[in-house]
Amino acid sequence: MSSASSSDCEDKDTATKSRGNLQDEEGLDWLKPRTLLVPDDQEDVPDADLEEEIGRILTTINPQWVADEVAYHYGQAKFVVKPKPTFGKAYPLYVYQGTAIRKDSDEAKAQIAAGYGKVGFDDAGPKRAKVKKSTTEMEEEEEPEAEPPPQEEVKEEEAPDEEKAKEEGGEDQEGGQADAAADEETEAVADEGAAEEQVPEDAGEAGETHVEEVLEIKPRVKKLANQFNFCERAALTYNFPRRSVDTQTVPPPRANYGATCLQSIIFDFYQEDYARKQREKEEEKPKRLRKKTAKHVKSAQQIHDEQLAQRIREAWTILERLVNQNIYDEIAQDYRYWDDPSDEFREGMGSLLPLWKFQFEPMRSHAVCDVQWNPHYQDLFAVAYGSLDFTQQQKEGCLCLYSIKNPAFPEYSVITDSPIICLDVYKETPYLICIGRYDGNVCVYNAQLTLESSYQYKSDSVRDKHSNIVWEIKWGARMIDGEASFFSISGDGRVVQWAVMPGELQATTIITLHSSVPPIPGPDGTLLTVNSCGSCICFHPEKADIFMVGTEDGMIHTCSLKYNRNYVRSVQGHHMPVYRIHYNNYNNTIYASCSGDWRVKIWEDGRDEPLFMFELGSPVGDVKWAPYSSTVFAACTADGKVYVYDLNVNKYRPICVQAVVSKKTKKLTRVDFNPRLPVIVCGDTKGTCHVVKLSPNLRVMCKPPKKAQVSDQRTLQIMKLDKLLSLVRDPPFQTGVVDEKFDDD
Amino acid sequence: MAEEGATTVGAAEKVIHTYPLIRHSDMTEEMRIEAMELSVTACEKYSQNNELAARMVKESMDKKFGPAFHVVVGESYGFEITYECTTICYMYFGGNQAICIWKCS
Repeated sequence: MSSASSSDCEDKDTATKSRGNLQDEEGLDWLKPRTLLVPDDQEDVPDADLEEEIGRILTTINPQWVADEVAYHYGQAKFVVKPKPTFGKAYPLYVYQGTAIRKDSDEAKAQIAAGYGKVGFDDAGPKRAKVKKSTTEMEEEEEPEAEPPPQEEVKEEEAPDEEKAKEEGGEDQEGGQADAAADEETEAVADEGAAEEQVPEDAGEAGETHVEEVLEIKPRVKKLANQFNFCERAALTYNFPRRSVDTQTVPPPRANYGATCLQSIIFDFYQEDYARKQREKEEEKPKRLRKKTAKHVKSAQQIHDEQLAQRIREAWTILERLVNQNIYDEIAQDYRYWDDPSDEFREGMGSLLPLWKFQFEPMRSHAVCDVQWNPHYQDLFAVAYGSLDFTQQQKEGCLCLYSIKNPAFPEYSVITDSPIICLDVYKETPYLICIGRYDGNVCVYNAQLTLESSYQYKSDSVRDKHSNIVWEIKWGARMIDGEASFFSISGDGRVVQWAVMPGELQATTIITLHSSVPPIPGPDGTLLTVNSCGSCICFHPEKADIFMVGTEDGMIHTCSLKYNRNYVRSVQGHHMPVYRIHYNNYNNTIYASCSGDWRVKIWEDGRDEPLFMFELGSPVGDVKWAPYSSTVFAACTADGKVYVYDLNVNKYRPICVQAVVSKKTKKLTRVDFNPRLPVIVCGDTKGTCHVVKLSPNLRVMCKPPKKAQVSDQRTLQIMKLDKLLSLVRDPPFQTGVVDEKFDDD
Repeated sequence: MAEEGATTVGAAEKVIHTYPLIRHSDMTEEMRIEAMELSVTACEKYSQNNELAARMVKESMDKKFGPAFHVVVGESYGFEITYECTTICYMYFGGNQAICIWKCS
């Protein structure tokens, strides 16, 4: 308190003096003490009054304290003395642990020893100049002050400044005093260490010895860090100029629409849509055909012309039939009623009687790749013209339907743009014929449609056709939702089911025939899996999901529609491509297969070895079981011969071998039994179909045993085959039993 | 037109159409099918309450294709709207309801 008041006095004295210095040291003016502005009407108080000390004593005794405070206790119904609170009447609301420590304490000593804050507060470290005047008045004047403040705060780096100040101060001592006063004001509260007390003595000595000012600079000490001991420094950086950039996107396009809905409008629109749908349903025909008919809007004249042409065509057809009947009258008689009488004299041997040859002039150079009797019309058969000479492949093929009533010209013929390799006639609707083509496509032809129309359905050449020749095609059972479907097997190793949807064919790959050959390393380190090439397919007569597949490496795989990865069974049936697998018509476990390795084999399901094996001395193009007998089958070979076997008559040799075509120029490719008539048709590589009649010895029917009840032919046939099989099966089958090369003629 | 339809179909076999029928739409295939299925579901679920049906379609469409779809379900009304391109679908359902779905935000 005393120092504060004295410094006030100083201020008044030195207020004017310090101005000059302030101007000199502009950089440090923020350190300077403020001169108090005195209002004009300030009452003039004598200095003595100002210096008067007014003491105030703070004690720890609370004058408000009541020693024995009582309160009424309702439970005891009397006044009781209140328990005394620990802090008397004072209730601490908030306790704050200060950080100040006593400098006498051990901790403070430790800090000081560590170099902290030997003195406090004067962080700014204003120059401390000790100015000692030789004149006593000056000393006296300064004495009331708290004595020249400690000089230890003087900082080394500020020394030059201070020297300058001193020099100035030397000239003008009052300036020096002003400095000192300024310092004192800041240091009034500062701690005064023992060291401080010595300083004035030194200064005093200095003052005695040297009249000049003494400048003492002490090494800087670290200040003690606490919450009172800080200063703020701040800097303001430039503000970056701001700029705003914006953009606007194009709003999404909009459009207007308006309509009115009423019950009538809705009803009309539904009617319209319904009518349109009906129309579409009716137009089941392929789009091409529709387009064609739509293009030609026929005039009345044209219609008349067409009708006339149609009538003329019918007339010509009748005429053609008449002429043919006259020309082929003998044959027509023979095929029904003439039997080779010589059969009676040669037991167990038969012959084939050539009846007709069917040729289609544009297809002279094509091969008959498949031939099949119509299941419904016994005089009609379908022929697929293609080419089996793969080095000189024909550019086109042909599908023909021949009737034995007209050997001169096919009843129906369609030229296709790719050779036809196989065909199958649909049993349910015998005018639908599916074909497989050399280019991998499959088509369905409708023989009822007019001649100029081509296929009714065709696989998509881009999307789902086979990538290789379609080797065999078979109609299958109807699908769950009633669509007809057929299956094709191709050289690309896939078996595909084609569902005949309205207007299109929908392909489903049933199985991919994987080969036992390990993957072949391809370019760039890829591995190419090898598919075995399928060459024929045959469905089980009863189990609709079981089918057999023959491959070009001679394997016979039994597959199921239910598995698309694995085979049910696999048999190494042949050593060359399997050309045909055919189930026996009477026993579902017996099937025949033929191959390019000259052999025909008769197999039983589940047996790895064939029951019979026949070697025909030439690649066998086809083998078929006879529809009328369980033990008769026919095969045709590449050397132009037709072999007919009856296992019941001779288990080792054919009962008929007949060369149908010259083996020098032609090969026989396919053979088929007529389902009702005793004739077979076989095709050759020069586009000719030969229809031959089987002599009586080749179609011996079973005689019912005398004892047994009269049973139908079918049961007898089954019994016959079973008997034969038991003979073969009973002694465990040995290979080589039937391996007897048959000698030509 | 209505008379013609009636005569061709015949009074005896009056066909009631209930399938959804798009009258006008420029939505993408996927979106249109979604909208159609949603409308069918909603109209079947709230067959007595067009408001709820419309709300259900709208909320589902908002969820699937982003907000601000508008849906009108009713039996007879007229409208003239502005829509964001490729977001309108005006369809009939159940033979007597018209549903208009569009987006405009």
